[in-house]
Amino acid sequence: MRPFVPLVAVLVFGCVLNANGAFFEWQTHRAVLREISVGGILASGMTVVIVSGGIDLAVGSVLALSAVSFAWLTLLHGLPGFFALPLVLLVGAAAGALSGVLVAWPRMQPFIVTLAMMVFARGLAKELSGGQKISTYVQDPSGAFRSVPLPAVFEALDGRVLGGNVSVVTLVFLGSAFVTWVILERLRVGRYLFAVGGNFEAARLSGVPVHFTLIFAYVLSGICAALAGICQAAQETHGDPETGLGYELDAIAMVVLGGTSLMGGRGGVALTVIGALTLGYLEKVLSLNAYSSELRLMLTGVILVLAVLFQRRFGRESA
Amino acid sequence: MHARDFGRRLAFVLVLGGCHEKASAPAPGASPAATTSTAGGGPVAAGERKLVIGVSQCNLGEPWRVQMNADLKTAARKHPNVTLVFKDAQNDSLRQRAQVEELAAAHVDVLVISPKEAAPLTKPVAEVFHQKIPVIVLDRAVDGDEFTTFVGADNQRIGREAGKLVRELAGARANIVELEGLMTSTPGQDRHKGFREGLDLANHPGLELVFEADMAWLEPNARKEMESALAAHRKIDVVYAHNDPGAHGAYLAAKAAGREHEMKFVGIDALPQEGVRYVKDGILDATFAYPTGGAEAIALALELAAGKTVPHHVTLGTRLYTKANVDQGGEAIQ
Repeated sequence: MRPFVPLVAVLVFGCVLNANGAFFEWQTHRAVLREISVGGILASGMTVVIVSGGIDLAVGSVLALSAVSFAWLTLLHGLPGFFALPLVLLVGAAAGALSGVLVAWPRMQPFIVTLAMMVFARGLAKELSGGQKISTYVQDPSGAFRSVPLPAVFEALDGRVLGGNVSVVTLVFLGSAFVTWVILERLRVGRYLFAVGGNFEAARLSGVPVHFTLIFAYVLSGICAALAGICQAAQETHGDPETGLGYELDAIAMVVLGGTSLMGGRGGVALTVIGALTLGYLEKVLSLNAYSSELRLMLTGVILVLAVLFQRRFGRESA
Repeated sequence: MHARDFGRRLAFVLVLGGCHEKASAPAPGASPAATTSTAGGGPVAAGERKLVIGVSQCNLGEPWRVQMNADLKTAARKHPNVTLVFKDAQNDSLRQRAQVEELAAAHVDVLVISPKEAAPLTKPVAEVFHQKIPVIVLDRAVDGDEFTTFVGADNQRIGREAGKLVRELAGARANIVELEGLMTSTPGQDRHKGFREGLDLANHPGLELVFEADMAWLEPNARKEMESALAAHRKIDVVYAHNDPGAHGAYLAAKAAGREHEMKFVGIDALPQEGVRYVKDGILDATFAYPTGGAEAIALALELAAGKTVPHHVTLGTRLYTKANVDQGGEAIQ
């Protein structure tokens, strides 16, 4: 029940400061669920990496690289969505695999490896896009601009289903969280991940394929980052090489707020969903009331610390 | 937009290496203090002598600055004797200072600099100026007057024009939303201050500013803030954002709520592939150009190389783009 306490506290906070009743309207909650989706997809992958005892700082940049790649394929080269989607997921998987291999064999620090990948992927995104957004207004090699229609896949991803009540990206988020849950809780590789994160040497000696497990974690995080990038591009209607700056920190905050241990070996993705909701609602309450950005930053910092402190104090397993 | 300080990113900047296109190797062992007289000396006709212009750009992380470099290149291409040497300081004042010294050591004929911030770059710029290398300061200022000429637009004036336009669009009674750029940056403060002057709420009691929020120049943030504004207010008539991506984000939020036809959207910057195109597509109702000064800088550099004197301060005008005039290239506001 513990992870729910900060969330409930934030919801109560929202009911009190309801901005003339805006907090009680469904569109506000629909908006929160949409706004946390990109961060939540990143956090799903991040949970797996953190459970394995690592960290993935590259997700924000891989998100940008994927958004640019997706826009480059669909807008600039007119590739249909069903073809571009798997290609972009492959880009994310490749970036993750590269980080994973460097963490697994030379046993480099995940912090350093993914920091390097973060810088590299950002550079690649800028190179691919020429430093500009790739939008529906594309430049031909001759230098002339022409408008292309927004592909259906963009409209579909930024659309809503179930009578306009749920954003499609929210479903993508819940889907990634569910897949991650199955991996961590129901598959053998999930047990390996917890084992490797808990004690690498012990896991290796008891026959866990430690290298494969580590690479698996970073590949999954890369795929999640690519998926988040596709959602970001669809929502912005272009591929922006500067997008997703600092998103890795939001994703880490969502994971930690849920109660997953940064030391590895303990946690779960259900907790991450709660963490994402807590952060999303906190932002929404502060935004609805149009508090100044200075106050918002300070309040967010204070509430994050209080939430984690609370979990440690009342938790059976301290985070 | 020109002091977008992505603080969180700075923590990681330490690992970034310096990278620049077409970097000319500085003369080994050349002392930055060495007095040379490559340029600014006797009158030399432009077009005959080779002219190397060093460009120190504070950061290429924003489309507007990419556009500035593109404008410089386009203008320079018309003069085959001009060579541009670009350096990108990646939003780091000390790196920019080192790059200014490198350009001086390489004996460029003219230095064009768009400084990240005034204080740390005033002295390096003054040193180059005293080496008799003409210095053109673009967009952001340095302190004092130890440079040849400053070229820049006036954010507060553009904000004021935006305020007047919003007042016209609003009519007698209206609810207005302001989505602000980073309010710790000078452009954000000026675009805000000018806007309020132009809007003149004190003398127009029918106008109400119902929602304002800092979206830090970022489109996803603008969309989030606009969703809050839409939830909290049943009637919104005009949205003013400090840059075009912000106005576009607000439009997307209104469209998702099915309310985009209820209100008008005004932005600033008017990059050709961004704001101007949004106006053409009917997404924005108006945008104001924030000129880069790239073309003007090259023209001034050529005049300086020819030994002419140039004004110490050049203020660039703005252009208003609306649906009515966008196909004619907008309308200049003097």
